[in-house]
Parts: sequence; structure tokens; C-alpha cells
Amino acid sequence: MKASLKRILLKGGPFIGLILVIAFFSIAVPLVTHHGNFFTYHNFKIIFTQTVIVAVGALGMTMIIVSGGIDLSVGSTIALTSVIGARLLQHDWPAGVAVLAMVAGGALIGLLNGTLIAGLRMVPFIVTLGTLGIVRGTAKWLAENQTVNYPTPLQKAANADWHTPVDDWMTTADPDGMALPVGVWVVLALALLVALLLCRTVFGRHVFAIGSNEQTARLCGLPTVRLKILIYGLAGCLFGLAGLFQLSRLSLGDPTAAVGLELDIIAAVIVGGASLNGGVGTVLGSMIGALLMAVLRTGTQAMEWPNYFQEIIIGLVIIVAVYFDRLRQGREN
Amino acid sequence: MKRLFAALTLLALSACSKAPSDQPAAGAAPAAGVLQIAVIPKGTTHEFWKSIHAGAMKAQLELAAQGIKVNVLWKGPLREDDREQQIQVVENFIGQHVDAIVVAPLDSKALVAPVETAVKGKIPVIVIDSGLQSKALTSFIATDNKEGGRIAARELGKILGGKGNVIMLRFLVGSASTEEREEGFLEVMAKDFPAIKLLSTDQHAGATRDSAKTASENLLTKFGAQVNGIFACNESAASGMLLALRDAKLAGKLTFVAFDSSETLNDGLQKGEVQGFVVQNPMNMGYLGVKNAVAAIKGQKVEARIDTGVGFVTKANFDAPEMAEIVHPPLDKYLK
Repeated sequence: MKASLKRILLKGGPFIGLILVIAFFSIAVPLVTHHGNFFTYHNFKIIFTQTVIVAVGALGMTMIIVSGGIDLSVGSTIALTSVIGARLLQHDWPAGVAVLAMVAGGALIGLLNGTLIAGLRMVPFIVTLGTLGIVRGTAKWLAENQTVNYPTPLQKAANADWHTPVDDWMTTADPDGMALPVGVWVVLALALLVALLLCRTVFGRHVFAIGSNEQTARLCGLPTVRLKILIYGLAGCLFGLAGLFQLSRLSLGDPTAAVGLELDIIAAVIVGGASLNGGVGTVLGSMIGALLMAVLRTGTQAMEWPNYFQEIIIGLVIIVAVYFDRLRQGREN
Repeated sequence: MKRLFAALTLLALSACSKAPSDQPAAGAAPAAGVLQIAVIPKGTTHEFWKSIHAGAMKAQLELAAQGIKVNVLWKGPLREDDREQQIQVVENFIGQHVDAIVVAPLDSKALVAPVETAVKGKIPVIVIDSGLQSKALTSFIATDNKEGGRIAARELGKILGGKGNVIMLRFLVGSASTEEREEGFLEVMAKDFPAIKLLSTDQHAGATRDSAKTASENLLTKFGAQVNGIFACNESAASGMLLALRDAKLAGKLTFVAFDSSETLNDGLQKGEVQGFVVQNPMNMGYLGVKNAVAAIKGQKVEARIDTGVGFVTKANFDAPEMAEIVHPPLDKYLK
């Protein structure tokens, strides 16, 4: 009885952590600040919206980390694809084309990473540290070192024909309305898809196999090189989508956007129970991890704590999560 | 897999059950009659923003003395050039139902959506320091940069006695506030000082002090001996120019007018290398931002555009009491 309780605590760690953090802020915010509330639908609508970019990134990162890899170039990829999208919109391409181009751009960067890592047998950490710089530089180059603006709301008003649906996908437009932005639904759908891909397909089994023990996987006849390139490519598609949502939120292409976001994304995946050694990780856990990040950020602001508190707390949460991971592995061994 | 579905459903259910509990909560928000006013700078470490914070706290103290309880919520983005972070800060304040928002937008376009969301939620928004491409905001409180440029031109023209050769160093392509200064400067030069010859007005200093120094060196190499007066239109451009003038042994030998103050420029002023600089009044921005936010909450009429004024600092008035708040803002008095 006692043992199974401990097992639930360890297995459901991320979920229990999220509930505890939400409960803490829900009680503490009204008590400490004497105004405002944390546990309201409208506050969570904002939190969900703010989770989208990290969540989409975390979906791709989950695949990569489960396969025993890592990708540090995500933030740069988001910036570059958002610049690509803004450039296309600026030249009157329809939104659909821009979306496809952004996903394709992300995929290309992923394929490049995958090829360098699997084909040339280099360490993912170093390769993606390199592409982090290359991609960020390319984004600034393509954007001519400034933000890429397509027509603004005022210009739109002057010329009523001009409208891009992209701007509407991530806004919390009506603060009193109940509707969630498109981006949130896309994340939920993608999360289901990636979860099915990882748990119900042969490809998914192979991802876990490579992550658990690459040599064994190769000896069993798995095409590890091709698989790895595919994993990074697929994840790249998702990073391109994250770039789309970044573009939608800023309503401009910003080559300096999402600096350091890869760390938030990796943290979300690790907090969600994945292991940096590979072979372990769930989509649901990563989504909870991403949500936890946004809740912590919103919560620290609602508590009127200064910015540095937020950074310290998120750092502590990561360490606690990794400690839980150790406990879990200790039990299983 | 089953567990995943179960948990997702659980998550969805818990999200749904939040909806009804929200109604009474929203009603209870404006407790105790304290007005919650969010003040959102572009960053929090630079002295310019600390002055704005001090101004906001000054307004809070004054309003308290009048019996109006105000709580200033000071929160900037985590990283100082991160548009996404500033959007999140604005959104989170909307989620907390603050009574008004005072914001210095990092970007004139990216911040439009969250600001308009706030306005739709009946939260008045006062924009300070930098413009926003939106008609929804209650008021725009900032320096009249064009007037600042005009003042620089008048002062420089006066010192030069209405004749001589002048160089104007621009800041960045596409920087709205500095382009207005340049425009104001050129306008007065053309109108009031027709005898002054403008040697160069098309060079940009770039974003950093270092790039400004390079651009200045190129200008001084080309025109060095003929130049009588120089105007640099922001702090980094002016500091770069001052460094280049010192290297070229020209510092103090010609008339140099700058925009904004800094330790480097204050030092130059004392040594007679800088004849004066136009200064903005950030403390007044924070002060008027909060004051007008309260007026807007109370349904009083608020001016759509409020100028926080510019001044001209010279060696003579550097220590004068009316300049004290600008040159040495009393940060400790209000931020302790």
C-alpha cells in the first residue's frame, strides 16, 4: 500500500507538481496581494496562450531527447522561421504559403542538424550549439538586422482589403470572452498526434530503441542514421510551427526573438519526466512541464515578486525534477 | 496510452470547472478601494527606467496624500529587448484585472495586440516614452523629440553666432524618436540660420558607442579642420563622437551639442568639451503616467498627447535646482 503510494508520487510527479504550484498561487495570490485572483478561467486562458510556443517546441524536443539527442538551435530556428514568414507576408504571399514555408524552413534546419549529427557522427550538443549561431545569424541577415514589419493595424484600417489571418491565431483578443485562440487547439491536436506517433507506431518504438541503447539498436538492424535524420527533421517541422506562433504573437518577424528559449523548452521536457540519457519521456509529461513554466511565470508576476525570483524558482524546479527522475530510475533498477 | 487520454480528459475537465468559479472572483477584484496601476518599462536596470519608476512612486505618494490609494505595480520584461516577454507582462496584468496600465512599448507594432486587448477589457492604457501604432490608447506621454531637435539647433546656432560649418550625426535608420530630433534640428537650421553651412547630415552612428566612434572618426578625417559645430542626436552617438574628438585632439576646440546625458557627457561638459545637451524628463513621464491613469479610471478627461518637456543643460545651469531632478534624479528618495 505504502509502496504503491510512493510509486504514484514518483510516476505522477510532474502532474502533482503542477497541481501543487497552481494550488499554491491560487491561495497565496489573493492572500498576499489583497487584490486579484489567480484561479480564474480568464487567467488560465492567458496562461494557455503563453504556453503554446514552448509546448510546440517541447513536442519536437521530446522526440529528440527520447532518442538520446538534444537540440540547442530551437530559439534561433523560431526566430529565422518567423522572419521567413514575415518576409513572405510583406511581399503579399498568402498566409498558407507563409505557413508552409516556415514549416519547411524548420524542417530543413532539422535535417541539417540530423545529417551533421548522424551522418558525420558528431555530438548533438556541439553541432546544435554551432547551428544556434548560424541560424541566428542567418535570421538577422535575412531581416537586415531589424524587425520585419508587414502592414500594421493602422495601415490596414486605411486599406480595408489588407488582412492576414496569421495575426489572429495567438491573441487573447477579447479578455472577457471564453474562446481559446487557435494556437491552443493546434497544440492539443499536435500533442495527440505526436503521442500516437511515439507510442503506437513502429517509428516511435525505434525512437525509444535508439535512445535506450543506440548500439543495440544498430546491431538489431535499425537504420539509425536515417532514423536520426528523420527525427531531427520532424522536430524541425514543429520548431517551424513554433516560429509561426511567435510571428503571430509579435505580428512582426523579429530576428532577436526567442533568445534562450531552447532552455525553457528543454526544461519543460525534463521537468515532464524525460531523461537526458534518452529512452525515457512522454508527451503528456512535456506538456505538463511546459504548462508549469507558464504557470510559474504568471504566478510570480501575480505575487508581485521581482524578475530574479522567477529565474531562481524555475532553476530550482528543474533541479527538483531531475532529482525525482533519479529516484524513479533508482527504483526501476 | 490510456493513461494519457485519462489525464488529458482530466485536464480538460479541470479547465472547464474553472469557468463557473470565475464569476464571483471577478466581482470581488476591486477590494479595499486601492487602485492597482501597472507600470511596465522597457527594462529595469538602466537609470532612465529607474527615473520613470521614481516618478511613478512620487505620484503614488502625492495621490495618497490626497486620499486616493494607489498601488504601483512595477514590472519589466525579464530580458531588456524581448518583445514576447513584455507582451506576457501586459497580458498577465490583464489577467489580474489591474485598474490601469502604463506602458513604455518595446516595439510600436508588437505591443499593439495586447494593448488593444486591455482596452477591450475596459482597462485604460497610457503609453509613455515611445509611440504605439494604435488608436485605442488613452494617452501618449513622451518627450516632444522634434522640439528637442529644434532646441539643439537654436542653442548651437546661438553659440556659433549664426555662421560656420556644422555636422549632424544621425543615430539609426528607422529609429522614430531620433529621426524626429534630426528633423527638428534641420528645420531650425534651414529657417533661422541660413548662413550656417551643413557639411554632413547623412551619416548614421549605428547602435553602439563603438560604431558611433568609427562613424565620427570618418567624418572628422574628412572635414576635421573646417568643422565649427557638431550635433549628435542621442547618447551613444554623442559619446562616440566625444571619444573621436578626443582622439583627434579636437575636443574643446569646436562647439559640440548632444542629446541625453550620461556620465561620459557630464564629464565632457565639465571639461568644456561639450557645450551642452538636450535632456528629457523621464521622472515626469512616470509621474504623469500614473496621475493620468488615475484620472482616466475616474472618468476624467485626459489629453491624448502630453509633452513631458525638454531642457538644455550647460555648464552654467548644471547644478541649478530646476535641472537637479533631470541631471541627478532623486532615485533614493522614492525607491527606498
